[in-house]
Amino acid sequence: MNAVAAYQPAVAGPARETGPRIGARALCEALVAHGTDAVFGYPGGAVLPIYDVLREFPMRHVLVRHEQGAAHAADGYSRASGRVGVAMATSGPGAINLVTGLATAMMDSVPMLAITGNVPRAMLGRDAFQETDIVGIALPVTKHARLVMDPDEVPMAVAEAFEIARTGRPGPVLLDFPKDVLQLETSAPVPAPHELRLPGLLRPVRGDVPEADELVDLIARAERPLILSGHGVQISGPEAVDLLRRVAERAQVPVAHTLLGIGNLDETHPLSLGYAGMHGWMHVNKAIQHCDLLIGIGIRYDDRITGKVSTFAPRAKIVHVDVDRSEIGKNVRTDLGIVADAGDLLAALLRRLPECTPRHAWLAQIEEWRAVSLNRSWHGSGGWRHGRLSADYVVAQIGEASEHQATLVSDVGQNQMWAARYFGFRRPYAHLSSGGLGTMGYAVPAAMGAALAEPRHETWAITGDGGFQMTQQELATIVSEQIPIRIAVLNNRKLGMIRQWQELVYDGNYHSAELFGPDLVKLCEAYCMAGFRVHRPEQVPGVIAAARAEPGPALIDFQLADEQNVYPMMPPGAGLSELIDEERG
Amino acid sequence: MSHADRTAPQTRHVVSALVVDRPGTLNRVASLLRARSFNIDSLTVGSTQEAGRSRMTIVVRGDEAHTHQVIAQLERLVDVLEVTDLTHRPRLELELALAEVEPPSGPKAEAAVREAMAQAGGELLATNPDGWRLRLADTPDRIEGALQILRRAGLRSLVRAGSVAMAIGAATSSEPTAPQLGDSSA
Repeated sequence: MNAVAAYQPAVAGPARETGPRIGARALCEALVAHGTDAVFGYPGGAVLPIYDVLREFPMRHVLVRHEQGAAHAADGYSRASGRVGVAMATSGPGAINLVTGLATAMMDSVPMLAITGNVPRAMLGRDAFQETDIVGIALPVTKHARLVMDPDEVPMAVAEAFEIARTGRPGPVLLDFPKDVLQLETSAPVPAPHELRLPGLLRPVRGDVPEADELVDLIARAERPLILSGHGVQISGPEAVDLLRRVAERAQVPVAHTLLGIGNLDETHPLSLGYAGMHGWMHVNKAIQHCDLLIGIGIRYDDRITGKVSTFAPRAKIVHVDVDRSEIGKNVRTDLGIVADAGDLLAALLRRLPECTPRHAWLAQIEEWRAVSLNRSWHGSGGWRHGRLSADYVVAQIGEASEHQATLVSDVGQNQMWAARYFGFRRPYAHLSSGGLGTMGYAVPAAMGAALAEPRHETWAITGDGGFQMTQQELATIVSEQIPIRIAVLNNRKLGMIRQWQELVYDGNYHSAELFGPDLVKLCEAYCMAGFRVHRPEQVPGVIAAARAEPGPALIDFQLADEQNVYPMMPPGAGLSELIDEERG
Repeated sequence: MSHADRTAPQTRHVVSALVVDRPGTLNRVASLLRARSFNIDSLTVGSTQEAGRSRMTIVVRGDEAHTHQVIAQLERLVDVLEVTDLTHRPRLELELALAEVEPPSGPKAEAAVREAMAQAGGELLATNPDGWRLRLADTPDRIEGALQILRRAGLRSLVRAGSVAMAIGAATSSEPTAPQLGDSSA
């Protein structure tokens, strides 16, 4: 476990080294210069020159058990901290195994860097052993991908990759290094920021946003305004998160959020409405359908939010603020489109907005809807049918036990929706999830990265038994690296969301919904980590406390009721006004 | 006004992109256009007055919103420096075509071939007994007009290069105002 022993904090500021050193050293030096303190990777022939020198640099290497885990871990590292996570893999299969993680990061605008080795330059294009055109494969799932063909280009390529990954709308960048580029010497220095050559990189215009004038007018005239806030607010930074609250209070406009907008506003804030969309709260979706001004900030208006576009927010003027011009008007008709960083727009609004009086009728209407909505689909006793364990209760208990401060990384499917609805989020950067791509298997490896990036917060992975089995090999990583994450497996022994769709959309034709899995407690035993199992609601608080008391990683197998669904649900092809809700006796 | 609106009128849009001349840039652009299901009539790429910069002329078919999306998506590519919609702007536009037709059977047929060439900047390259080879260089619609005649004359082989287009306007106001070859401002 020398990786742990060798760990030191990152050096501050770039060290400009110009003496000759091999490409692999130039690469590591550039990573350290850009603040990298951890690399998630897996060795192979083409990257062995890097592994040969890695020990010399103050970076912790986390040896994953599959490269997909490395990519998700780098993604989780980035989302939790705002810094650029780094994943590393060898040529061919190693590189290709990163692709799911790159696409996940791309869809959710996560800055990360993937480093891959390739066959030596003279072998490129000859179908050499473990050769693949990873740049070609990665193009559609990265913000930028580049083959670095000259050792002298290494420091510049790394510097430009960091700049591309985190500038404007962030995204993943892949750098592919032929093996001999890593082995040959170069004297090229780590470039200074002004030396980067990125004339085509979209850099948002920062500062005041004059279009805010028009938005202020719209807010002043609106009777039922609503802010729908997304990931773009947190991507902009903690200041933007703070500004959102102040704008909402000043303008007296309630705030809803998308899945990745969770944490934009403390859910206990009186103006916080909660989670919108396909499995969002009924009262939030009603507010969207009844508002007369919908202000989307840092969102994509994607199909999981809008449902059928033609019936979305039918009474509203729709405003769309995003840093990426291509998002404006892409999915929904827009009455006012503003291309701006979310934080800049919010600051511009705050400068212009007068103190507004509460719109009592609108807020009272929402509260009336909310009172009904919150009590639906909630099993506060912990029991569902026949007193079997209810998922919403489990998630809420984890939230309470961690005083709603934990970093929660959800997987995909029912567990993701339960986590979004019932954890009770209070702070930004606490909820990580594969929102756009919906990548099963994301939770455990991403939680690993999040825990390393932000060790001051306890980190929970909430996953289903399906997603867990997709990347469960990373248990070995968290044990050997002693990364103290807590894993809550919401185990219904099924692909729950598949089963739910088959029940509600495919007339109960259940195919491949039943899922056999291992005995998770025995699995933990095999991996030498703490494992718990819970069958009954009354056991939940005690076992959560026991898992939290473990010094190392721990897993809880929550044996859920069999056929619990997530409600409300927007059926496929339907609009936000057509949600189906749980039938309750 | 979303680009998914399939009922909006589909018209021809000429988009010009200045890009970094690097290996893979064409791949990036082509990959993006394919992945987003943008319909392309033609795409040409070549060097410019500036070293390290290439100019692409991309002809797409769609409504205004569709073209807006094409441009906004292209702008996101790190190797794309600038994208302009030339559709509604004064521009020079030119396309090159090579064709081989049946040798004319008589004076009337030959006159038709020569008439087609005259319409579209044509030049006869070879009048072999096994076939006449010719070159057309004009706006795409004039070339299309000439090809209609040539198809009746027995078009055996055709290669089209796709449009190249150049914006003309303030920066080139010293140019004569009379219509130039392919000058769509006329």
